[in-house]
Amino acid sequence: MKRIKLGLVILTFLCLVATNAQGRIKLVALPDRDVTIIRLDNPDASLVEEERVLTLQKGVNKVDFSWKGVRIDPDSIRLRVLSHPEAVQLLSVSFPPKEAALVWEIASPEGWEERVRISYLLSGIDRLVEYRARTEKDEKNLILNAYMILRNFSGEAFEKARVFLNSAKAFERTIRNEETKRMLFLTAGPIPITKTYTWDATVKPHDPDKVSKTVGIPVHYVIENKVSHGLGKSALWAGKARIFQDDGQGTTIFIGEDRAAFTPVGDRMELYIGDTREIKVTQRKMFEKKMNIRRNNRNAIVLYDTDELFTVKVENFKKEPVTITIIEYIPGQWDVEKANFKYAKETANRIRFLIPVRAHGSETLSFHYHRRNVR
Amino acid sequence: MRPACKNREYLRHIMSFTLLVLIVLGPATPFLPLAVEAKVDLVTLPERDRVQMTIYNTADLTLIREVRRLTLRHGMNRLQFGWANTLIDPTSVSLRALRNPDKVALLDVTFPPRTKGVAEWNIDSGIAGEEPVEITFFTSGISWSAFYLATLTPDEGAMDLDGYVRVTNRSGEDYANAQTRLLVGKINLIDRIIDLAKRAYPYGRPAEIAVRPTAPPEAKVRLEEAERVMMKVAREAEKRPKEIIKEALSEYFLYTIEGTETIPNGWGKRLPSFKQSGIPIVSLYKCDEKRWGNQVRRFLQFKNDKDHKMGNEPLPGGLVKVFRRIDEKAHLSYEGADTTRYIPIGEKVELDLGEARDVRVRPVLIEFRTDNFTFNHRGDLSGWDEHRSFRVEVSNFRFIPVKVEIWRHFGTAHWDLVNSGDYGLYEKLDLKTGKYSLELPPNTKKVFTYKLTTHHGQRAD
Repeated sequence: MKRIKLGLVILTFLCLVATNAQGRIKLVALPDRDVTIIRLDNPDASLVEEERVLTLQKGVNKVDFSWKGVRIDPDSIRLRVLSHPEAVQLLSVSFPPKEAALVWEIASPEGWEERVRISYLLSGIDRLVEYRARTEKDEKNLILNAYMILRNFSGEAFEKARVFLNSAKAFERTIRNEETKRMLFLTAGPIPITKTYTWDATVKPHDPDKVSKTVGIPVHYVIENKVSHGLGKSALWAGKARIFQDDGQGTTIFIGEDRAAFTPVGDRMELYIGDTREIKVTQRKMFEKKMNIRRNNRNAIVLYDTDELFTVKVENFKKEPVTITIIEYIPGQWDVEKANFKYAKETANRIRFLIPVRAHGSETLSFHYHRRNVR
Repeated sequence: MRPACKNREYLRHIMSFTLLVLIVLGPATPFLPLAVEAKVDLVTLPERDRVQMTIYNTADLTLIREVRRLTLRHGMNRLQFGWANTLIDPTSVSLRALRNPDKVALLDVTFPPRTKGVAEWNIDSGIAGEEPVEITFFTSGISWSAFYLATLTPDEGAMDLDGYVRVTNRSGEDYANAQTRLLVGKINLIDRIIDLAKRAYPYGRPAEIAVRPTAPPEAKVRLEEAERVMMKVAREAEKRPKEIIKEALSEYFLYTIEGTETIPNGWGKRLPSFKQSGIPIVSLYKCDEKRWGNQVRRFLQFKNDKDHKMGNEPLPGGLVKVFRRIDEKAHLSYEGADTTRYIPIGEKVELDLGEARDVRVRPVLIEFRTDNFTFNHRGDLSGWDEHRSFRVEVSNFRFIPVKVEIWRHFGTAHWDLVNSGDYGLYEKLDLKTGKYSLELPPNTKKVFTYKLTTHHGQRAD
């Protein structure tokens, strides 16, 4: 299934004799790939670097490179002379019509073996990153395994290619066309987990009793890409993460999956694992009235403030205490009259409460605020 | 000489319906021929030693874990795992050495070109000999659901509740003598397992558009064989119902069924999960015009807690069929059915049995007037008050005491309310809603009135 071909055309001195009679001479020698490197560090394009040894004649040599049936970006093809970089010169590159090919003209002062490196961007070959995490039974820490999945549908096969996901680690593998390979490239841990519960007023129903199915509250695992947290050596690529938990029976249960976002060193990765139905949140608007009313000459209201009261009841059916994040939105200009829990203003209109609830207990957030200068 | 031909024939035979694991000895050579027969130098076909199924109820997903004994040799081993005609997610297939995890290194997993349902592991083994390995994967097609049978006492003061779990296997694969576990919970899934199982390539192609979801195929049932397996298992089974051990894990509950189960493809199985008698219940009737119009709905109310002889486990959502014992000879009448939501420990349960005929709530508007008109500078009407008096007649025609809850919606946030008469307990639910809760002895009637003043236009400012 090798479709990328490199041919060495010996441009004989006959040319000098019969100047006008020259056609394109096809392959004479087919040097094999020596070292092949596939770099997958850019998720948008895969870079192939291959080294081959050419037997150059003294004078001008034509080297024919063709890639029928393989999607190479022609503009990305580069040739680098390795053995005699000072002496050997690349004179020109020409592209024959209607062919997936190019011809290099290389001038060599001597007849010798020349090692060259050809690099190009190749379509149809890429990689995915996948994570498998195993958490302890108490969900305090997890062990993270990261896999690279190499998908080769490029039309080309590679023998003993060195595959790089980042500069750190290479896999040497033979890769057939239409083959998929999964390789473990990172095992890290124990990594501390922060588990969060989040109820967002714009997403979740306010009265769960009136919904036919039990309303789930999203649960997230948050891990940090830091050395102190068992990671921090390199960025974590985006990819699907499947999370398993030690079940105390010597085996595991699967507790959910999410798409992990690209996480640079120092940043945090948040994974939505599933919904808990052990926490119930009921929000009610108890009071709303206009105040500080300003009227125009015709006695119509032109400006007012509001007086509003919300209650949010959180019931915890778990046998452990939990802390839940409640997200609320208030439009326009506003200030708080009274809130029985602390809140953080995340944006001008979004506020976040952290409400600790004891095991088998409940708490009611009461939030009294004014919207100002409503027109 | 190895009986390779015979084995190959056997292999082809079972390929059509079962998972297989086989070892290819020798260095992992590239560019193996593609046909299955030609591919292998078959040495052993280890049977499953143990199988564990963890079945999920909110997603079509089952985690299968099986232990097999592989005979490894020093150096490179190639192991092939095939799952043709099943609903297995190839991306989930993984393998782990159990006894010598440090000496048995998994180099990679390869999904060979133009081959469906096959994975090859390259294993670098530092040991020679037998090694138990654990193979895990996800499959679609096995499901479980909860089912309940409730039996009321003749006076409807208490209830017996029998909980069951029903497991159905339509995965294309038989699972014999499997430790069976059921997971109660709502996990996040970003791909359906059935879609992953049906992909042409395990991880798709680069820049490939996602496959269109398809319905799971109807399982082919091989009745005779399945019956034979079932009969064998039945003979071996003990003469008492199996216990189900329940444990909270993360945000979920794990039900582990005692012993092992055999569930051939196409079969379902119902197992008792719990049994509780004498749960005190309240006959609750609800009236909310917004939700049910003029109907009064009948509910059975109890709590999943110790006071109600429950509270050992959450109740997974499922169908509840409610009966009532009507005489000394335990004859039954059918009262209705409801599909419950998931009920955590400590939460109240309200089974909706539908429209009630023998408890009646009649709210009647008996007086209406308006006043306090205001006018704007042009002399147009700008505000007013509306006064309504409602008389609510609540009748219990039943021979048992009942609790009645009545929701009233005021349509505006600007109102005043005066209650009078036998209105029980009044509660402001939110800025536009109030609720009355009454208790009525058998065959009684209660009447109350409320005067509602609502402010409109400028009067509401």
